[in-house]
Amino acid sequence: MAEVELKTAPADFRFPTTNQTRHCFTRYIEFHRCLAAKGEESGECEKFARYYRSLCPGEWVDKWNEQRENGSFPGPL
Amino acid sequence: MIESQRHSYHLVDPSPWPISGSLGALATTVGGVMYMHPFQGGATLLSLGLIFLLYTMFVWWRDVLRESTLEGHHTKVVQLGPRYGSIPFIVSEVMFLFAFFRASSHSSLAPTVEIGGIWPPKGIGVLDPREIPFLNTPILLSSGAAVTWAHHAILAGKEKRAVYALVATVSLALVFTGFQGMEYYQAPFTISDSIYGSTFFLATGFHGFHVIIGTLFLIVCGIRQYLGHLTKEHHVGFEAAAWYWHFVDVVRLFPFVSIYWWGGI
Repeated sequence: MAEVELKTAPADFRFPTTNQTRHCFTRYIEFHRCLAAKGEESGECEKFARYYRSLCPGEWVDKWNEQRENGSFPGPL
Repeated sequence: MIESQRHSYHLVDPSPWPISGSLGALATTVGGVMYMHPFQGGATLLSLGLIFLLYTMFVWWRDVLRESTLEGHHTKVVQLGPRYGSIPFIVSEVMFLFAFFRASSHSSLAPTVEIGGIWPPKGIGVLDPREIPFLNTPILLSSGAAVTWAHHAILAGKEKRAVYALVATVSLALVFTGFQGMEYYQAPFTISDSIYGSTFFLATGFHGFHVIIGTLFLIVCGIRQYLGHLTKEHHVGFEAAAWYWHFVDVVRLFPFVSIYWWGGI
């Protein structure tokens, strides 16, 4: 049986404070910008998805996904 | 009474205006609360309170003008009272407006995740700072220069010229308020459009309200100058209006630089 490796997003010096809200939000945006620029097949964007998924509360991601669908997402995508 | 007085202080006569002003303020507050909650007669009590308050202001100031200008109770030492009093008043006004500018900076320097971490927030069409804001700022500053012209005219004893200078000051003030009204009317966002609209209209609105107060103050000074109330040696009312006007003037620079200009590009 293969060992499951558990790890969170690496420390990012753009977000040195305890409050990681902005870190989570930025990684979410980076993931979607990466997808838009390189496409899903490139496989380069998956790391950003892992980062935001380990940083962001699920409800936030659900809300942002919904907002992106109806065009009301406020971030700079 | 004057004959037997051996000091230069003004011992005021009993007056009904403090209690009438207090009752007016009470009716205004209670009426205001009733008006904003489901009570009957709130609007009536609020209007009565405001009318009472405005009436008290009128007659109280009328009495002060009679005592100072016509009865000569405001000696050099008595003039120190309103002079020193207006300084902490203006300082408190600066602190009042500072709170709104601080709120605006707080919201815009590190925009929250809820508004996407960007300023202005997505969907807010900001006003071009090079249009009305860049025109209105020098208009208000010119008005400040015109009030200095009026001051010099009063000090030089040129009574007519002082009236002209005050007419110029007030005219520039009215043009400023007119443009500000036009800007509000044409603004593509409202006070309920995100934190941007809230901070924008709170800061510029309260500044505009103070411009209107200062304009009324200057209009009263203009009328009194026309009636010959102000002399070379004695014009405390005018000086207080001029200080207030310079305060309103300087405060305009903060919304212009930080809200319209920095916050709008």
